[in-house]
Amino acid sequence: MNATLRNTWTVTLHELTDSIRSRRAIVLLILYALNAVVATLIFVKVLHEMENQFEKVVGVAQAEKAGGTTTAMWKNRHFRELISHLVGNKETAEKLLETPPLALFFGWLSFFYTPLLVMLMSASRISEEIWSGSVRFMMFRTSRLSWCVGKYAGQALQLLVALLLSGLAAWITGWCRMAFFDPGANAAAIAIFSLKAWIYGIAFLGLATGVSQFIASPNVATAVGIIVMILFGVLSMVAEWVTRQPWQEILNALDLLVPGGHKMDLWLPDVAHAGVAAVFLLALGAAYMLAGYARFSRRNL
Amino acid sequence: MNTALELKGVVKTYGSRRALDGLDLAVPHGTIFGLVGSNGAGKTTALAVTVGLLRRNAGSVSLFGEGPFDPSRHAGRVTLLPQDSRLPLHARTEDLLWFYGRLQGLAEGALRESIDEVLEWVHLRDRRRSPVRTLSHGMMRRLTIAQAFLGRPELVLLDEPMSGLDPREAARIRAILKRRHDAQTVVISSHNLHELETLCDGAAFIEAGKLVRQDSMDTLTRRSRCVTFFLEPAGQPLPMEELKKTLLDATWEQALDGAELTVRFLEEASRAVDVNARVLEVLLQHGVGVLEIRRGSALESEYFSATDSHASSVTPLPPPGSATP
Repeated sequence: MNATLRNTWTVTLHELTDSIRSRRAIVLLILYALNAVVATLIFVKVLHEMENQFEKVVGVAQAEKAGGTTTAMWKNRHFRELISHLVGNKETAEKLLETPPLALFFGWLSFFYTPLLVMLMSASRISEEIWSGSVRFMMFRTSRLSWCVGKYAGQALQLLVALLLSGLAAWITGWCRMAFFDPGANAAAIAIFSLKAWIYGIAFLGLATGVSQFIASPNVATAVGIIVMILFGVLSMVAEWVTRQPWQEILNALDLLVPGGHKMDLWLPDVAHAGVAAVFLLALGAAYMLAGYARFSRRNL
Repeated sequence: MNTALELKGVVKTYGSRRALDGLDLAVPHGTIFGLVGSNGAGKTTALAVTVGLLRRNAGSVSLFGEGPFDPSRHAGRVTLLPQDSRLPLHARTEDLLWFYGRLQGLAEGALRESIDEVLEWVHLRDRRRSPVRTLSHGMMRRLTIAQAFLGRPELVLLDEPMSGLDPREAARIRAILKRRHDAQTVVISSHNLHELETLCDGAAFIEAGKLVRQDSMDTLTRRSRCVTFFLEPAGQPLPMEELKKTLLDATWEQALDGAELTVRFLEEASRAVDVNARVLEVLLQHGVGVLEIRRGSALESEYFSATDSHASSVTPLPPPGSATP
């Protein structure tokens, strides 16, 4: 095996084992799983309340558990037409409506919290090694690039495990708490959303790794990572709101350079949209990481 | 000369400050070589520039005559013990060495052997499963020394290797370094000049980022051209006429307090052991008490005399009790 690839893989494995030893990975997994369980419980409770209200209005018997009315409503022709109208694309709406509600909720939840957790857990990973000087024990053993890419890949694998575990936690919670729960359909849809959230998270992981290479202080790196993440979010929101030309064109072009600009396409079930968005997001992650590397490759350690 | 490391006119600046100001250095292959200099002289910077941790602003670095450090060519062949760097605290001792060895490209079998060997040297075999955070400061220091010798690199750069070691461990590490003498080139940066004098084949004096003097230890300390006799009681009359007859080409220096007698002679004319025998015989015949005989002069005094002009700018401490200006 090529020495660069071999060393990248060695660093990736070490990143995983080091995270487990330092309990960083355990904290990450607990945070993701706990978040999924609590949010799913809240979702099921709110859904149950809404169904009870609905059942009271239409005068039918109230169910003990959530999910029954929603499942019926989900299959209702008028409701589906309404959603098609709201989404603006019948095919997309139909595809989304084929997704179980719990999986949709899980997808929304994962896309919401993954960027923040990535910033909290990963933006300090390289900077803390620069800060402590432990990076010096490695830089005469391997190239700076293979070390950085190895750290990035190790973090990406941890994120994947965390998201799959949180999906499993949400699935178990839904299975326990919902009356009408299709285990197979929910498992498949949650797995797909876990993978999509992972791809979305990888773009932010690239940002976190990039910032971590720029800034030697772990705390400052985390703070800067979160600030940049918020600024990216603001840019996507503004790009959506502004309709005045030429600002709309400019903002839309800039929006393509941030993960939020590809989020909705990744949500869509068709491969044409989601696939292109996935490629864009992976490329953005790599670009952010390499932008940081441009600084790291020249910095004094 | 077959050099393991050569620096030519290396400049390294931090803002407006020149840490290295045209440093020249040539470390012969297979030697133990000392870097001597005051704090901030540029020793640590020179080592970091050598392995590419710091980027130089000018000049050239060549390892084994193959050009500057390049991980694809030199990874595993050159290692460093950095001065103020902390090992990752969560890793286990053995796992950390395993990780470093794999990065160096060592195969599993060779790596296992090498880990056993270096842990044995630094007395940490019984702590191989311990997380680094549970090791004492001295043990961590020993582990950093162990990582530098992992995989038998050709060039080992050690920055203050003995700092933080207890006397027994320091002596043990010195013995290991001496034993490995022929196999590797070892560069040691240290403020402990006595230690360098006993360990090294050659040394360089660095001040203000420049080379002041570089030579073999024999030449620097004049081991083969000078013998000093420490006398007791000090100031007793010496039979100088008779002494001078024993060595016609030698020059004789007596310390002001009369406690030391230094004989400098031509290397080609006499051997230190003969000089010692002849002078000692005369001194003992005349009842002069001899407490100690030292070959050559101390590296410390040679360093002071070579770097006096640099040191003269240092303001002496005011006497105790005097007002601060």
